Amino acid sequence: MSDAHSEQDWRAWFAEHGARLRLVARQWTRCEADADDVVQEAFVRFWKHQRHLPGNPNALVITSIRRAALDLLRRSDRRTVRERAVAADADVAEWFEPEADPRLQALANSLPSLSAEQREVVVLKIWGDLTFDQIGEQLEISPNTAASRWRYAMDALRKLITARTYE
Amino acid sequence: MNESDSELENALASLRPRPPGPALVQGIARELDAPSSRRGVIIAWTSGLSALAAAGAAVFLMLASARSPQGPSYELVRAEQSPAAMQLLSPVQLQDGSYARPVRVHWENTTRWEDPRTHARLINYRPNEHFALLPLETY
Repeated sequence: MSDAHSEQDWRAWFAEHGARLRLVARQWTRCEADADDVVQEAFVRFWKHQRHLPGNPNALVITSIRRAALDLLRRSDRRTVRERAVAADADVAEWFEPEADPRLQALANSLPSLSAEQREVVVLKIWGDLTFDQIGEQLEISPNTAASRWRYAMDALRKLITARTYE
Repeated sequence: MNESDSELENALASLRPRPPGPALVQGIARELDAPSSRRGVIIAWTSGLSALAAAGAAVFLMLASARSPQGPSYELVRAEQSPAAMQLLSPVQLQDGSYARPVRVHWENTTRWEDPRTHARLINYRPNEHFALLPLETY
């Protein structure tokens, strides 16, 4: 079996893309620690079994992340409701580096306020670098639904930013 | 503040997600630096067998070419290799919890030799069978 990326330095690849992959993983996990576990498991699984496949590895890694996240959610369904609530609240504001521009900071603060469905489309499009077709495949929805969620998310973000800017 | 979708998209793209922590980076580096993956082990294993087979063939050729005044002196007339027959077996679960599908590949190498002096013929029939595990994605 030939390796389509035999010359690829995967450590450098992860150093370049790790931050956005972790943000993607964060959309499907309950806390930062879970996101770290999912990214590590998914990336290593990709590296062991799929790195030889041709094409852009980005979509494959994201698919691997989603599957690892769903596996983790199934495994950890026995966690208590209290644990989930604490984990969800604790680190929601730490997804991005601080921004000097108040408008950008308002935007960063607003993103977690979107509904989960809208937010995952935004994150997959911007930081997952996926098209609406690819997002549809990932989330098992139609591309039109993905595009529709994107438009609603943009409207919601505009309102949230305006509210936060004048707070 | 009333931005268009593209302006908002550009603003979103300019946000910088926090980088992975050192534990994650070290964990991935550890995995990537591991001496060999299971796939690597399989490849190394089959490569070892191939090398062993090549060494055996070399010894055979050396013995065949070592001429003795009284003995026959065989020369290679023809070499054939049959198409490989692949047999996919039922998936099995490995010790680490992952799944793999055993694969058995069978083919035959046949060489025909002839002593030009006596026209004595020798057929060396050599069946080959390799066994490997193909890792399976189980989602």
